[in-house]
Amino acid sequence: MNNGEVIEELRKIVGDKYVSDQPEIQFLYHYDFITAEPEGKCDFVIMPEKAIEVQEIVKIANKYRIPVVPWVSGINFGSIATPRKGGMVVDLRRMNRVIEVNEDDMYVIVEGGITWADLKGYLDLNHPNFRAGITFSPPGTGVVPSCLCYGMFDLGMLGGTGAEFTNGLEVVLPTGELIRTGSCSLTGYWYGRQPLPDLTGLFIGWEGNTGIVTKAAIKLWPRLPYRKDFLPFAITMEEGVPMMLKLSKTGLGIVDLVMINMGWAQSLQGFDEKSVAKDPVALGLPDFLGLITTQAYTEEQHKAQCDAIKTICREHNVEPLTAERQLANFPEQMRGVIGHIFPATGGENPIQFWGCWNFSRGGGGEWIGCYNSTRNIVKYYNLSREICLKYGKAPQYYCRIMFGGHYCVTRTNVNFNKNDQEDIEKTRVILKEIHDAVQKLDGVIMYKPPKWIVQYYKEKTLPTTRELIGKIKKFLDPNNIMNPGQGIGDD
Amino acid sequence: MINITKEEKIKYIEGKGISLITTVPDKLELERNKGLEYYKDILYQCGKCGTCRTAYQEKGWSRICPSGEFGNFEAYYLGGKNLLSWGLNSERLKWTHNLAEIFYSCTMCLACMQQCQIPEIHHYAGEWLMAMREEAVQEGFGPMPEQIKYTEHIMEQHNPYMEEHKNRTNWITSNIHQIQDAKLAYFVGCTASYREKTIAIATAELLNSLQVDFRILKDEFCCGSPMYMTGQTEKARKIAETNITNLKNEGIEKIITSCAGCYRTLKETYPMKFGIEHEIEIIHLPEFLLQKEEKGELEFKNSVEMKITYHDPCHIGRHMGLYEAPREILKKIPGIILKEMDRNRHNAWCCGSGGGVRSAFKELSNFAGNERIQEAKKTNADAIVSSCPFCLNQFKSNIENNEIKSYDLAELVRKAL
Repeated sequence: MNNGEVIEELRKIVGDKYVSDQPEIQFLYHYDFITAEPEGKCDFVIMPEKAIEVQEIVKIANKYRIPVVPWVSGINFGSIATPRKGGMVVDLRRMNRVIEVNEDDMYVIVEGGITWADLKGYLDLNHPNFRAGITFSPPGTGVVPSCLCYGMFDLGMLGGTGAEFTNGLEVVLPTGELIRTGSCSLTGYWYGRQPLPDLTGLFIGWEGNTGIVTKAAIKLWPRLPYRKDFLPFAITMEEGVPMMLKLSKTGLGIVDLVMINMGWAQSLQGFDEKSVAKDPVALGLPDFLGLITTQAYTEEQHKAQCDAIKTICREHNVEPLTAERQLANFPEQMRGVIGHIFPATGGENPIQFWGCWNFSRGGGGEWIGCYNSTRNIVKYYNLSREICLKYGKAPQYYCRIMFGGHYCVTRTNVNFNKNDQEDIEKTRVILKEIHDAVQKLDGVIMYKPPKWIVQYYKEKTLPTTRELIGKIKKFLDPNNIMNPGQGIGDD
Repeated sequence: MINITKEEKIKYIEGKGISLITTVPDKLELERNKGLEYYKDILYQCGKCGTCRTAYQEKGWSRICPSGEFGNFEAYYLGGKNLLSWGLNSERLKWTHNLAEIFYSCTMCLACMQQCQIPEIHHYAGEWLMAMREEAVQEGFGPMPEQIKYTEHIMEQHNPYMEEHKNRTNWITSNIHQIQDAKLAYFVGCTASYREKTIAIATAELLNSLQVDFRILKDEFCCGSPMYMTGQTEKARKIAETNITNLKNEGIEKIITSCAGCYRTLKETYPMKFGIEHEIEIIHLPEFLLQKEEKGELEFKNSVEMKITYHDPCHIGRHMGLYEAPREILKKIPGIILKEMDRNRHNAWCCGSGGGVRSAFKELSNFAGNERIQEAKKTNADAIVSSCPFCLNQFKSNIENNEIKSYDLAELVRKAL
């Protein structure tokens, strides 16, 4: 293969301006610039505008057996959009339009490259009574990849993960055909995946191994007039978790149920290294911070829900202070950061980087983030906490109870200085130790996993299931061009 | 129930919740106007998260970066430029013409850094964007050919417009009254002297009308901004030294300028970058007018019936923090109705002419200008008004079929006096 030939063919599809093999352009696609995972290599990058262009690109990739990496913002904590075997990055950010909003069935059809900023901006302006969930990630990150990789939103208790928010997809298969999944495959409506064979699952959780999603329908939710965010604290995780589990099984209009430890709270507040308490528990600081968001249609309903939430908190010896009241005590320069989360303080926005991660003095971060049984919340925390402290890192823990309390997400962050090779190496060791430790708890499965963890799961997966995964991948992507070196489908 | 009040920096108060005191420094205190090496430990903090691409305001999210929106690839946004700078500094990349072009395909409007929440990037990104241009020049990859051409002309004829210096003051009409030994100079700037003469005339006339003793220097030269902004620091410094010598020799103690670029350069770049402590008071026209108004010395006699929208010039806005003075003046003109564009003040979309872009990257420049004109039209304003001759010139060049009018603030004030 001659790169020049390929570039020429690609230019015919999208125009000169949207293909590049310049080292300076490629540089930004080699790395994800966050994690401790090794860098990759992008040979060239192309920015299509339409699904038909994506089809043509994929056909060329097959012709020359060139790896294809679908890409929107390229940042995630598993480096899963980092090209591992060279080839072309298909940067989808020109495909960032909202195609349709159906207020009756409450969904929005978007293109595959739309960002949270694009979507939120559009909905706020044109459909203010509806909202999509908001992710705890920056506004420039992609909506569709988040859904396809089981990202979660601030409506997790209501509807589960982004995957569960996904009604249907339009996908360019690895062989170039354009298909649709869900109700849109045989009607003009994109209201859901029922009652058909659920082909959407062929593209969710595969880390870009099975196709390029060019359109997706995402569930919308009504913006109810009454909402309250509680931000209660407890001394330990052991004290706070039972309260949250109880709340998860009560309804009470709870749309989001999150708990973090003081380490993550410090991260959210953007402390510099000097001011971070490595072990807040040793200082006697509260180590459990809960976030309970409830919403209602009428004032009476709202009051009853809030009263019930307060009662449950107090039954667990926790004072149910509201976020509004808590944040009023924060220094002014920090309110904005935390305030991103809560409408009471002007938020309900994608969280800008400063607010979602403490990059203040090092720029690096990676997590062991897993879907999990709610039985493991405290155990997971204690295991990872101990390991972080052993290596002199402040433990940063986050847990979200999902979909009416049916399961949860647990994750431990490790921050590091990405200009310090020793710190990067140490971080890799910590991540591996946390991973190995939490895997001893049954029910722990990492999402957005880097390759070394994917390999672990492949070995652990039931052999007949693993074989089926292999067959599906081979059937869909006979030339193994889709994001090779990443994901469950890769050899 | 928990009951904690301990640890000096973090307090929990019963019944009030957490109270965090003095734990987060706003930013590391860094020096400005340094070379790339000085900022090397900040650059890699960027995670390329994309926050620099969009602005959040009450009306929602909007795109903010002309360079990125036109160039599309990651490299053209601030995140990309941060990491390219880091790549260069850590020897992962080398200087090439492509790299230089990426850094020069930017109007230096600095809307991007307003968005970033990492304090050091929020406060200092403009410093390394400039440092990269300086380094490009030092390494022989900058400035761009068109910028070299205008630089040569500036060195010979003291303006970047390929005009003769002897014609610089041709705009002065017979009715304009100057005081030959005035300590106050009206620094006209190249654009108003050669291209947007109505601004120069209006400014001089309104100064006359306000009975301000002023003069226009016979040997007013380019302020040096076109060179400084394209990384040609040493050439710009020489011009600055010449200008200050001339001004001092003329006994000038105060300068009024109607040009945003000149204002920024004389007031900020000369002392802060070049170390020329000239002690001459520099004031932008709207600031001066507001002072006059506050003293009761500015009285609008005529009504100017017009719906307008105000475009914030980057050089007085984001670069110097002057957002309200022009608005205050405009709102005081009888008949004027000021309507804001969605992106305004620190989130204003750049007109596309600054940073050497208009000369070297015409397509990018027009793209940015047209986007701003369309945004202005959405307000249903009759005219887009700015306080910078370069912005006005850009709008005039891009407005088609008289779809919206464009004025400088000085012109409207003049009409109202």
